[in-house]
Amino acid sequence: MSQDLRQDSHPASTETGLHEKGLSKGTVGVLGLVVIGISSIAPAYTLTAGLGATVAEVGTSLPAILLAGFLPMLLVALGYRELNNAMPDSGTSFTWATRAFGPMIGWMGGWGLVSATVIVLSNLAAVAVDFFYILLAQLTGHDEIAELTTNLWINIPTTLVFIAIAAFISYRGMNATKVFQYGLVAFQIAVLLLFAIMSFTSNQPFDRTPITLEMFNPAGVESFSAFAAGISLSIFVFWGWDVTLTMNEETTDPKKVPGRGATWTVLLIMALYVAVSLGVLYWAGVGTTGMGAGNPENQESIFAVLSGPVMGPLALLMSLAILSSSAASLQSTMVSPARTLLAMGYYKALPTSFAKISPRFMSPSVATFATAAAAALFYVVTRLVSENALWDTITALGLMICFYYGLTALACVWYFRAELFSNARNVIFKFLAPLIGGLVLLVLFFATAIESMDPDYGSGSSIGGVGMVFILGVGVLLLGVVVMIYMRIKQPAFFKGETIKTYQPIK
Amino acid sequence: MKLLVGYTADERGAEAIELASALAADTAEAQLHIAIVLPASAPFNAVYPGSDHGYSTILSAQVDQWAAQAMTLVPAGIKATVVAQSVPSVAEGLIDLAQQYGVDGIVLGGRKRHRAGFFMPGAIANALLHSSPVAVFMSSPAAIDTLRNASGKLRRLTAFVGDRPGAKDVVELSAKLAAAHAVALRVVTLVLPHEVQEPEKNLDAHIAETNGYLSQLTSQMNLEVSVEVVVGRNLDEATAQLSWQDGDLALLGSARLAADRRLFIGPKAQRILGKLSVPMGVIPKPGTSN
Repeated sequence: MSQDLRQDSHPASTETGLHEKGLSKGTVGVLGLVVIGISSIAPAYTLTAGLGATVAEVGTSLPAILLAGFLPMLLVALGYRELNNAMPDSGTSFTWATRAFGPMIGWMGGWGLVSATVIVLSNLAAVAVDFFYILLAQLTGHDEIAELTTNLWINIPTTLVFIAIAAFISYRGMNATKVFQYGLVAFQIAVLLLFAIMSFTSNQPFDRTPITLEMFNPAGVESFSAFAAGISLSIFVFWGWDVTLTMNEETTDPKKVPGRGATWTVLLIMALYVAVSLGVLYWAGVGTTGMGAGNPENQESIFAVLSGPVMGPLALLMSLAILSSSAASLQSTMVSPARTLLAMGYYKALPTSFAKISPRFMSPSVATFATAAAAALFYVVTRLVSENALWDTITALGLMICFYYGLTALACVWYFRAELFSNARNVIFKFLAPLIGGLVLLVLFFATAIESMDPDYGSGSSIGGVGMVFILGVGVLLLGVVVMIYMRIKQPAFFKGETIKTYQPIK
Repeated sequence: MKLLVGYTADERGAEAIELASALAADTAEAQLHIAIVLPASAPFNAVYPGSDHGYSTILSAQVDQWAAQAMTLVPAGIKATVVAQSVPSVAEGLIDLAQQYGVDGIVLGGRKRHRAGFFMPGAIANALLHSSPVAVFMSSPAAIDTLRNASGKLRRLTAFVGDRPGAKDVVELSAKLAAAHAVALRVVTLVLPHEVQEPEKNLDAHIAETNGYLSQLTSQMNLEVSVEVVVGRNLDEATAQLSWQDGDLALLGSARLAADRRLFIGPKAQRILGKLSVPMGVIPKPGTSN
């Protein structure tokens, strides 16, 4: 492992040469990388959680928006890759944004990443619980079991148990094996394709809607705000794809494998998304009644409603695919915020207890449990105050992803400011791609944030005349500002740039 | 004596170093290899979002700090080095390191866990007790207390033997260790009457015979040796009759079904271990070629 010279403030390692770092060199090929990418995206979960909310915004333009949402993601991910190559040992929004823009913006970058992952954790757990009860109902033939999840006295405790189990597994450092990942990914793809095929071959679609080319035209969306909201949601469905670009040393050929893996992953995922979204549109239409995809009742978890009528007894497979993909993601995603919190504790941006590593399991201890507690708290609050918690959560998540992604992309441009125009490659990958991607995402962030103040936005829940999504999304960010100011007063070292130095290019 | 310590940066790890130091002290070539094992990275468990998050760098710094702390726990007069290595499984990793360094034993710290009266070593100890090519020594907080009461010095070894041919190997190995530390050796056999044919008639003769065999076995040794044959209705009752003193170390042999030069703890030994609150070691089966 190289300690890049540019990393002017890596931890005070005594360089005893005692240990080799645990990177296994070159075992992941293109197929392996595609599997890793798809398992990070968890398509069965993202589709059930994101499809309904996106239809609510853009109607039949769903396929167009899904495809268009990939573009800003691609542009930002290219910038990510540059930062990851320049600072391989520190790779996260927190340290990158701190090095580029200084402690305050860096702190908020870290907070944004942690918030986004905490929100998605609470959503993953909720989806897993819903499908846990749906699966039980399908297995036992007692439909009333599926209704248990609507009872808050059952739903909230079950969700907390799911989060606790995931945190424990993550703390113990237990890992899913390669075979498990391959199996899970293959199963998800197979079930989703089966759903698409069955919806097209169905004898009695609920609201047969002919497929037209117009569905692929992004300009077909009525308003800019619907377009913005749709894109910020569809970024969520590709969230996970960029992992394929940041894997280098783990691959058999760092020059070729990441690029090919990333390309195949996105082609596969796009094909899958287009097939499923066309299937949903064809079978259910975008009507706001009954099983229409535009019905607010159906939007928080589209497959919970559609898989039964479309797939009949095979709906069991869909429940299993969603339960397994969301439960597996719940556990693996837990690692990410825990590590960012650990880094923030280590560099004294948070209390140093966050930097504790378990000597037995070699995993973050305080940070892992703080993550789980935050996800649990977020879930309980959202579930209690929102009429349609999952829907609002996903919309708030889209907002949060736009924030930290956009910020990190601009961090890339600023970090490399001295070398942006030194060659054509830099102009594209360090300047144009992250600049455009970052600006687009931040514009989406502000547009959606302003829009979401409307009490009718999202599921239509509101507090004091302000939309729930705004309160969840912007509220969490403002809470971050408060915590940051508190930390700045109490523990100023990080904010004085003593632990991470802001990078100054040599003139 | 060269020993490999399976170290974790907590009380258990400190106790392991204490036991290892007591075992190695005053022996020729007293040396500890302190091993901190890290999990091997699993590329199929990609951390998303944000990949590494600087974790490997922070972990490295933490491990360096732990290594420095571990070194301060080793008393003067014993050479020590720290090795930190990523391994796919902790037990396998420790065995690889043990073979690489050619050590005489692996030392683990731990807690005694009781499940329905059965002694359950931790998962790592358990794996080693069924596969290690070298002796495995284990401490527990209670066991370390007895060692501390003896100022951290071994004062007596107690070798548990059966009345089977294997007894000879365990006695000889224990005698070597006792000689190295210049301490007394106690050889113990537990006799359960129901295992003796027609106990009413043969028990006394069996006890006398066992006593004679063990006395004869140890008589040639230039050591302070005592032999105890204890009778009890079951292992727990027999074990309970033994008296213990501070600075004791219990040694047990491997089961007959162990492969040559491998350790495989038998159910009886496991039962006895559960009843002991002194540090203990389990010795691998010697090779038939020896």
